[in-house]
Amino acid sequence: MKPFRHINVPGVAEAVDYLNKFPGSSRLIAGGTDLLGVLKDDILPAYPELLINIKAIPGLDYLREDENGLSIGALVKLAFLARSPLVREKYKVLADAARSVGTPQLRNMATVGGNLGQETRCWYYRYPHGIGGRIQCQRKGSGPCLAVGGDNRYHVIMGGKGCFAACPSDLATALAALEGSIKTEGAGGGRIISIGEFFHPLGNALKAGEMIVELQVPPLPAGSRQHWLKYTLREPVDFAVVSVAVLTVLEAGICREARIALGAVAPGPLRALQAEQFLKGKEPIPEVLQEAAVLAVQGAKPLSKNGYKVEIARVLVLRALEASFAGHK
Amino acid sequence: MKENGLLLMVNGQSYEFKIGTGPGEVSPSHTLARTLREDLGLTGTKVGCNKGECGACTVLLEGTPVLSCLTLTVECNGKRVTTIEGLEDPETGELDPVQQSFLESGAFQCGFCTPGMIMTVKALLGDMPAPTELEIKEALSGHYCRCISHYHVLDAVGRAIGKRG
Repeated sequence: MKPFRHINVPGVAEAVDYLNKFPGSSRLIAGGTDLLGVLKDDILPAYPELLINIKAIPGLDYLREDENGLSIGALVKLAFLARSPLVREKYKVLADAARSVGTPQLRNMATVGGNLGQETRCWYYRYPHGIGGRIQCQRKGSGPCLAVGGDNRYHVIMGGKGCFAACPSDLATALAALEGSIKTEGAGGGRIISIGEFFHPLGNALKAGEMIVELQVPPLPAGSRQHWLKYTLREPVDFAVVSVAVLTVLEAGICREARIALGAVAPGPLRALQAEQFLKGKEPIPEVLQEAAVLAVQGAKPLSKNGYKVEIARVLVLRALEASFAGHK
Repeated sequence: MKENGLLLMVNGQSYEFKIGTGPGEVSPSHTLARTLREDLGLTGTKVGCNKGECGACTVLLEGTPVLSCLTLTVECNGKRVTTIEGLEDPETGELDPVQQSFLESGAFQCGFCTPGMIMTVKALLGDMPAPTELEIKEALSGHYCRCISHYHVLDAVGRAIGKRG
């Protein structure tokens, strides 16, 4: 890795201070599992002069549940989230999503804030500078998206614009089904961004000098069940080809609430609103679930080499719905 | 600790470093894997992919398996690091039961992935007295072995559990 300066900060205010003192030339480091890969491959035109270590900020790794729902400090490790009895019991998709990330060692290091803030896995974007020079693209600020005419087998099938890289965060998919949001702090104070508005085709909603401090999950609908599914080529390590998180409520055999979130098919987690609407008020018999799964991928516009993801997404939605409704016993 | 100093506790020994770019100093961009191998000569920790995928560089940081290729040395100040060299008894030279089990099961061919695997197994058996086969497989899911030693590794872990009675 090329050299950089490194500073430990004692609190969020100091971290934000440094971010704003060194705009564009500083990066936050927590788990470091994504950032150090980015720096080793030197994929970005601007290499940071300063890394601001937020890992040691005390009190930012809490897990709290009260009448407003669940709050997760940004520094909570994925391994901790995956093992938490509270999360496994009540916020199952979140625990399952966390457990599906990377390997045990990565989960021991990686934080929930970093999982949401990580860089995309697009192989053009991440092309190492050391092997013939980095590849410029729309996401990096100059040139077209190379995935459109190139190898786009893992890119988006919906919602791409300018850049067709998929959202790599599994937690984002789970949070979308739980209608969660992200709390930030910045120079102008903090704000709360709903998970659906956090990801943009070219990056995320974080402004320069702003950092993620908390994930929030509102109280769940009474009697709801959840299910998480992730399709990968290899079970450990891999990022999702497609992931699905669903939440259902069944009353007297009738679906009262259905939330379907698709991951890795779009720049951010995508709610299949049409399919959700279709399910409400119906009995979740096989034909209804099959129709809902078809609706969930309706409007997909695959690129030249990723049409197969549409079918995988449809089948995952179907299986996740079946499993979630089967849980209402 | 001094502003530009660094204290590492590796395998029970304390090492002090100066943070800087001079010879023998630890630069902020040095990974723990590099410091262990090149500054401390502890080459038992291997670097495979150098990007957090293969698990060869696994060491225990405060008892937890982490990837030393994705850990900055400067962020380990005051922390306890255990590497494969720290497992044997320093006085008698007797191997750790996990190491001995790997030997007896022949749980390797080229051996490049072995130190990382042994560190993970060491931590696993510290956390769980009797893990199930599924738990063992999950714990080891972050270790790649191109020689396909995995079956022998499972055998070795079973043997290590057996040794503890």
